[in-house]
Formats: sequence, C-alpha cells, structure tokens
Amino acid sequence: MKALLKIVSVCLPILLIVACNATPDITDEMLDGDVIFDPSLYAPEEYLVSAKYPTPTQEDLKKHVLIAAHGYSSTTFEWQEFVQWSADSSYRISSVLLDGHGRTYEDFRASKWEDWRAAIVREFELLEDLGYTKISLVGSSTGGALLLELMQSGYFDSHIKPNNIFLVDPIVAPTNKLQSIANLIGPMMVYLEVDQSAEEDKFWYHFRPHETVSELNKVIQKVRKGLEKGIRVPSGTYVKSFHSKGDPTASTTSTVLIYKGLEHSDGSKIDVQLMNSDIHVFTRLKLRPSVSPLELSNQLDAFTQMAKRLN
Amino acid sequence: MKIRFLLVFLLCASINLQAQQLNVGIRLQKTQQMYWENGISSQYSFANFKPNRLFVGFDFVTSRLGTAMGSNALKQDSYIFSGSWYFFKNKPYHLIGRLNTGYLKTDLENDIFDELPSSAFLLAPELGLTYSPEKLPIALNLGLGYYLSMQEENKSPGTLQPLYYHLTLYYKLFNQEK
Repeated sequence: MKALLKIVSVCLPILLIVACNATPDITDEMLDGDVIFDPSLYAPEEYLVSAKYPTPTQEDLKKHVLIAAHGYSSTTFEWQEFVQWSADSSYRISSVLLDGHGRTYEDFRASKWEDWRAAIVREFELLEDLGYTKISLVGSSTGGALLLELMQSGYFDSHIKPNNIFLVDPIVAPTNKLQSIANLIGPMMVYLEVDQSAEEDKFWYHFRPHETVSELNKVIQKVRKGLEKGIRVPSGTYVKSFHSKGDPTASTTSTVLIYKGLEHSDGSKIDVQLMNSDIHVFTRLKLRPSVSPLELSNQLDAFTQMAKRLN
Repeated sequence: MKIRFLLVFLLCASINLQAQQLNVGIRLQKTQQMYWENGISSQYSFANFKPNRLFVGFDFVTSRLGTAMGSNALKQDSYIFSGSWYFFKNKPYHLIGRLNTGYLKTDLENDIFDELPSSAFLLAPELGLTYSPEKLPIALNLGLGYYLSMQEENKSPGTLQPLYYHLTLYYKLFNQEK
C-alpha cells in the first residue's frame, strides 16, 4: 500500500504538468484559429434584423421577428437552413452569434455562459427599443438552455413578452456521462477534441476548452435546479420543445424535466414533440454525413410548425 | 424486477444464515451534477467465511427522499447489491473496496414519454472509508463510486450520471465475535 501511494504521489504531479501544458494543434482551416470567423461578425446586417433595419418603418414594425440562438461551440450556421427556408416568408429572423463564439479558441476559452446569453438579450432589447412588438425566440441545444434561463431569471417580467419560445433538442441533462465530471477532470484534459469533418471544423470549434464545458455545466445545472422549483412561462407566450428520441448530446430526459418544471400561468403544460431521430439539433442537416428522408421530414415538420406561428 | 432482486438477495443471505455481523442504516447520496438520493442500507458478514472482511449488502436509495421531495425533480429508485472488502483488520477504521450492481428505475410520469429510456442496469466500483468506534454499536461509512456505462449513453435516463458519493450511518444489529 505504501509503495502504491509513493508511485501515485510521484506520477500524479508529472501527469498534471504534462496535461496542463498541452496545447491544441489548431490550423488555419479551423474556426478555432485566427483566420476563419463567423460571417456575422463582418456583416451583422445580413444576420440581425436590428442591424439591417436600424430605422424601421411602421410596416417593418408590424412584422414578426424570430431570434434564433445556436448551441454550445456552434455558430450562426446552425440556423441558416431555417433562414433560407424562410426566405419568402412574412416574418424576419435575427440569427444571433452567441458572444465568445465564432471567434478564436482563446476568445471561446475566456467566455462565460453569461456572455453567451448576452447576445440574445442584446438583440431582443434592440428590437424592443426599435418598437417591435411581435418577437419570438428559438434556441437549439445550449441556446434552448439559455432561453430557459431567461424565463427562470424573470427577465421577461420587465420586457415585452415573446409570442413564442421554441426549443430544439434543449440541453438540461447531458447524454455524455463524462460531461458531468468535466469540472473535476477538465484541468487534466485541458480540452476536448471533437471528431467532425473538415468542413464542420469551419463552423464548430474542433477543440473545446474544459473551461467552456464547465460553463455549460453551470448553466444547465442552474436551469435544472430552476425547473425543480418550477419556472413560469411569461403570460401569453407559447412554448414548444422538440427533441430527438435518440439525441446523442442532450439527453431526451432534458425535455421530460422541462415538461415537468415549466408551466404557463394558468397551470397548463407546454407542448412537446419527440422526433424519430438520432441526431442532435435535428433541424440542422447541412454537412451531415448522410441525410435520410425521415430526417428531412422531421426538419420540415419543425420548420412548418414554427413558421405557422410566426406568420 | 424489484421482487427478483429481493429474491436474489434472500438467496445470498440464506447461504449461511449465521451472520457474524449485520449492519443496517441510513444512506445519504449525492450524484455529481444531479440529485440527492437517500435511503436505507444493510450489510451482512458471514460467520464462516471471511468474517468482518467480506460483506454483502443491499441498498435502496431514491430521489423521493432527496431532491424530488416537494420538487419537480424526477422520482427515481435504485436497488443496489454490493460486495465489500474491508482492509485493515482489527482496526476501528477500514479502507473499503466495493463493487455494486443493481437497477435504476426512473418515473417519467407522462404517457408521452413512454418511448424514452427510463431504466438502467447499474455497475459501479467504489472506494470507501469506514470508522467504527470500539465501544459504540455504530459505523460511519463514506464512499465514492462511479457508474460504468452498461448500455449506449442515449439509452439510459439523463438523470443517471456516473460519479456519486455517499455517507452511510450503520447501526450494528449484532456483532457476533468468534
């Protein structure tokens, strides 16, 4: 036993030093580097309604605006298919880039979950200040958790109430069991490397710093505890959660917890739809290795339902 | 399923009914980034086979007596059988190596979630420490365990997370020294 303790006491600090010095091999072809950035940083007017119409007309203000928030480590690419699908619609979409995202690995590493949320709040308040009265929100994965956190914190008590809040594969409980211990083992791992295609590397971080996984854990734990106590939906807001049955990232139990913990002011429950899918964020099909007719049908179903409530 | 587990436990116990030691107590358990799940614990040491070194046990912990009490947390029950080995013989404190196996059942409550995973088989190695004052019939046990994935991760409830720690206070119902 003493010998074992001696070996551990010698090896552990060496292991920690080696691990903590590890730096990811970032290339210029990755979002993580300092060459590729999210395009919304160069041309916000192509992504944000507030930037495209800084002085809206009365006609503009009558339009319904949907703020679309992507998930952890992703970019505005995640909602581009819905933006393109909605090209001829009467509503407009603000595709926000969460702060800390779409920039360099170091920018991402330094960001907190409150920074991620700030981009949603900023666009919401800009639209509100401009005079828009019909605003809805959609959040995929962590974007969904951030929208839940806004409801939990009572943000909408002092703002206009969103018409709709849609959640797509929202994360409150992770599928990946190691994620819950990232706070403990993270400093030894430094970062997580994700197996994704070279093309996906341009839109999702290839290396995910352990600090950001801890931030993700913080926000989902905060939301989960809020749901345990009960979160009230803003009055008049319609909420629906769509969730892939075999979601490999955000456990479907997340939507069970949301269904239990979220309720309208009249005590009624939110709408829930479970999709026959095994992919995370089933509404994004571009750059998937293969897309089945069922997945196309799931995407169309969700898009159509959202559009119906926005028109 | 519950009955099957209880029958297995009774079968194990009946192999040698003459116990060297029988401990029963309450267990407080917290899973990292998830629920408090509390319940009961029992341990049993055989008189004729590694007395006071090898223990078999049964634990029942539930979020109903933890986080789910008066909240919207999911109600989930774990039935756990264990084998423990106590190191440091004849000392009031012991290092414990333990292997747990069992079954978790989560109540998703609504029919719309019938197709979602709500149960899982459990297998968890565990390290622990126990302290048992010589003149008192009690033992205090601390354990740190890790549930190994027994199936694809998206096939088990998201409320099953791997790392847990527990504190168990035992009362020694009898301690028959040989």
